[in-house]
Amino acid sequence: MKKLTYFPGCSAHGTSEEFDSTLKLVLKTLDVELEDIPDWNCCGATSAHVMTENLAYALPLRNLVLAEKLENTTMGIACASCYQRMKVTKVKMDGNPELAKRINTTVVEEGTYEGKVDVKSMLQYAYEDIGLEIIKSKVTKPLTGLKVACYYGCLLTRPKEITKFDSPEYPVSMDQICEALGATATEFDYKTECCGASFSISNTEVVENLSGQILAMAKESGAHAIVVACPLCQSNLDMRQPDIEKLQGVKYDIPIFYFTQLMALAFGYPIEQLKFPKHIVPVEGALANIGKVEPVPEKVKKPIKAVEAESEVK
Amino acid sequence: MARVGVFVCFCGANIADYVDVPQVVEEVKRIKEVKYAVEYKYMCSDPGQGMIRDAIVQYKLTSIVVAACSPRMHEKTFRKALSDAGMNPYLLEVANIREHSSWVHQKDKKAATEKAMDLCRMAVAKSIANEQLHEISVPVTKRALVIGGGIAGIQAALDIADARIPVVLVEKSSSIGGKMAQLDETFPTLDCAQCILTPKMVDVASHPYIELIPYAEVLELQGFVGNYKVKIKKKASYVNFKTCTGCGACWQKCPVKVPNEYNMGIDKRKAIYTPFPQAVPNKPVIDAEHCTMLQKGKCGICAKVCLPGAIDYQMQDEIIEREIGAVVVATGYDMWDPTPYEEYGVGRFKDIITSLEFERMVSANGPTNGVPQRPSDGKVPKNVVFIKCVGSRDEAKGIEYCSKICCMYTTKHTILLHHKVHDSHAYVFYMDIRAAGKGYEEFVKKAQVDTGTTYLRGRVSKIYKKGDKLMVRGEDAQIGQVVEVEADLVVLATAVSAPKDNPELARLLGISYDKYGYLSEAHPKLRPVETAKAGIFLAGCTQAPKDIPETVSQASACAAKVCGLFAGDTMKKDPMVSTINNEYCSGCQNCVLVCPYGAIVTEEVPMGHGSKELRTVAKINEGVCQGCGSCVAICRSQAINLAGFTDPQIINEIVSI
Repeated sequence: MKKLTYFPGCSAHGTSEEFDSTLKLVLKTLDVELEDIPDWNCCGATSAHVMTENLAYALPLRNLVLAEKLENTTMGIACASCYQRMKVTKVKMDGNPELAKRINTTVVEEGTYEGKVDVKSMLQYAYEDIGLEIIKSKVTKPLTGLKVACYYGCLLTRPKEITKFDSPEYPVSMDQICEALGATATEFDYKTECCGASFSISNTEVVENLSGQILAMAKESGAHAIVVACPLCQSNLDMRQPDIEKLQGVKYDIPIFYFTQLMALAFGYPIEQLKFPKHIVPVEGALANIGKVEPVPEKVKKPIKAVEAESEVK
Repeated sequence: MARVGVFVCFCGANIADYVDVPQVVEEVKRIKEVKYAVEYKYMCSDPGQGMIRDAIVQYKLTSIVVAACSPRMHEKTFRKALSDAGMNPYLLEVANIREHSSWVHQKDKKAATEKAMDLCRMAVAKSIANEQLHEISVPVTKRALVIGGGIAGIQAALDIADARIPVVLVEKSSSIGGKMAQLDETFPTLDCAQCILTPKMVDVASHPYIELIPYAEVLELQGFVGNYKVKIKKKASYVNFKTCTGCGACWQKCPVKVPNEYNMGIDKRKAIYTPFPQAVPNKPVIDAEHCTMLQKGKCGICAKVCLPGAIDYQMQDEIIEREIGAVVVATGYDMWDPTPYEEYGVGRFKDIITSLEFERMVSANGPTNGVPQRPSDGKVPKNVVFIKCVGSRDEAKGIEYCSKICCMYTTKHTILLHHKVHDSHAYVFYMDIRAAGKGYEEFVKKAQVDTGTTYLRGRVSKIYKKGDKLMVRGEDAQIGQVVEVEADLVVLATAVSAPKDNPELARLLGISYDKYGYLSEAHPKLRPVETAKAGIFLAGCTQAPKDIPETVSQASACAAKVCGLFAGDTMKKDPMVSTINNEYCSGCQNCVLVCPYGAIVTEEVPMGHGSKELRTVAKINEGVCQGCGSCVAICRSQAINLAGFTDPQIINEIVSI
């Protein structure tokens, strides 16, 4: 049994509860035990990190210091924003001991930061620490026939100097995990475009426009569903979908899954445990494709007609 | 008793602003051997030199100290002033109070002045022990080596050979021609590259003064200016060029197909091949990596169909040695690999190509008969987006510099597209249009009007696929908006980068290169084709990105430099070389080991005292010796003396401070 320090973040207990609960199912199958950081606090995302430097670093630093009290070497984070704040703080503190010392004074009661614990998103943990081979070996109900567009959003692989994971422009880790589950990942060019993020509340039009483009491109790629690893991406694409459909006059019907929901499904968990009723866009239509075998399309590609090099025969 | 004259230079404000020059003069006057000391605004000027000449005569001076800039700058100037006054030029010492003091201690005038005084005291002390020295004459091998057979190497070789100086031209691939042979038409006059290049290639092959060694690499260079020895590896071609007639039967029958480098992999060539029909020499070589006969011992078809029996599967690499006097390096450039531009989908989208691939497609002798085609489906593209500065001027993903030629070749490409596909439309995303050159701006303006190309000032941020089209999203900074263009084909104007083998070549030639891998010139303005190593010159893009006219000018400049070097039968050389005192030499040969130039050999001399027995001692080849002093430092018996830097001179310097 492997152990992993877990930072759930606020959304895991609210909007993305299905992410949290399916993650726990999946890790159970994969023989990983989660240990919550005792007395964890807000990561500071979207408000603290634009206000003051001290607060921007001190909030995540407190969690990092507390995480060092557990014996695990890695911290797994469900939410992409939490991951971003925690990873940025870790990289900055490790690279600048002076700054670390200064920020540490704010959270001195919790202890001294030593930089012992690595920070990973759950996607990165699944891809790097568990690996495709093991994931594949646990699949009992392959998702054959289901075509998915994997959407990473802006934070999971960026900036590349900080995350040092996958590609900042065309990542493939989630695609490969979905393929390991038996699904087909479509060629989806909008996988790192912005969904509108927290403008969902303050300026919904922005989200409707940006998330609308993502849905259109996913449909264009032939996907039945979109797979995400970020609670905000999920809520924007799922919750705003009916409005976007009204706005564009197009019917998408594209459910937005957390990658852990698809993993749990492929690992054989009963559908009742996957919290699908929490979704706004119904999932049944997309899931009906599982098991359907599509006829292989005929190849119509014409290669370039090469002209034989002229030979001078003497 | 020595009589020293000291001449301290202001160098305008360069020295005088940070060093108290009059105080330095007063200080040196206190040294008893100094019979005359003076300051002047510009010592290197004609009046300044006149002061030195006059003082030598008037004060009967026996050695001269000039306190001024680096000896690398004006040592020769001042030596000549001594000669003109009838004095041995090597009685001069230069105290470098500019680079070594005023320029580096600008914030502390007192310290800078004191350091300048110290430098002057040392120079005076050393000069007291200076001896008269005389220039050495070294014979010159009048044969030049040209490395690289692109347009730069071809031009340099032809110009040198036309002066009846033998040239050895070494080319890495099996034919000369280089990148220019891959081009269709050339800016700004649109003359056909093949038409102006291939006659020159034929001239090279038939020139009585040029020895062309294709399919070869330089392995080693030894010696010094005028007297180099070069080792060249002639790679096994598996074809005997003497008996091969170039009939083509072999490559017609060869069953192995390999991506064709000449056409940027758009079509296939055979495993036995000439790179293109106009190749010089027009003889095929076998690509050993792909030949089934050489890899697995099966096939042998080319040998069966070759009537003259020119195929030789047993052929081995051959080492050729030549004696030469000068080297011209013309190794060209590489196209930068655009893979880091992931947001463009490079590598994922087949219909994104590089400019050199586009060039091959629009070439009359190209793989698509001169009509561009989409690699994905072979359709003729109507909307073509050209993106400039892919890799150039991009500190984040590419290289910082401007590649200089892309603005012009992209303009040319819009014209060629317009000529080949009349109903096409070109879009160009650009940062700036840099068209500095004779007729260049006019060429760009005319092309914009004639072709109706849409120029969009801004960077492309993303390319994505929509159906079978590519959507190019970028900024139009002129209207401050994001624009999207639907493209059938996207052409990336990829940067020019230094040949990847340049650092290795630089090491074996003993010359320097910059952080990008371009070979370094001796001076960016006044010695642009020379390297810091005497007798080695640079032509073309191996020094920095440049277009064809500039490359050809530089190649001809190299030829002029080589001809100048070979003008006399001997070359003059500074006399600062080591000599061995045989009586002290124990023959330990430590000096042979430390000499970086291979200038020390051994010889047998009589034991002395009438004995007939012989003993071994070291011997210096003064033509090769560069006067570095390593042998002097290693010699345990103090048998070696370096002229101009003798032990008494150096001890005097140390004692003086």
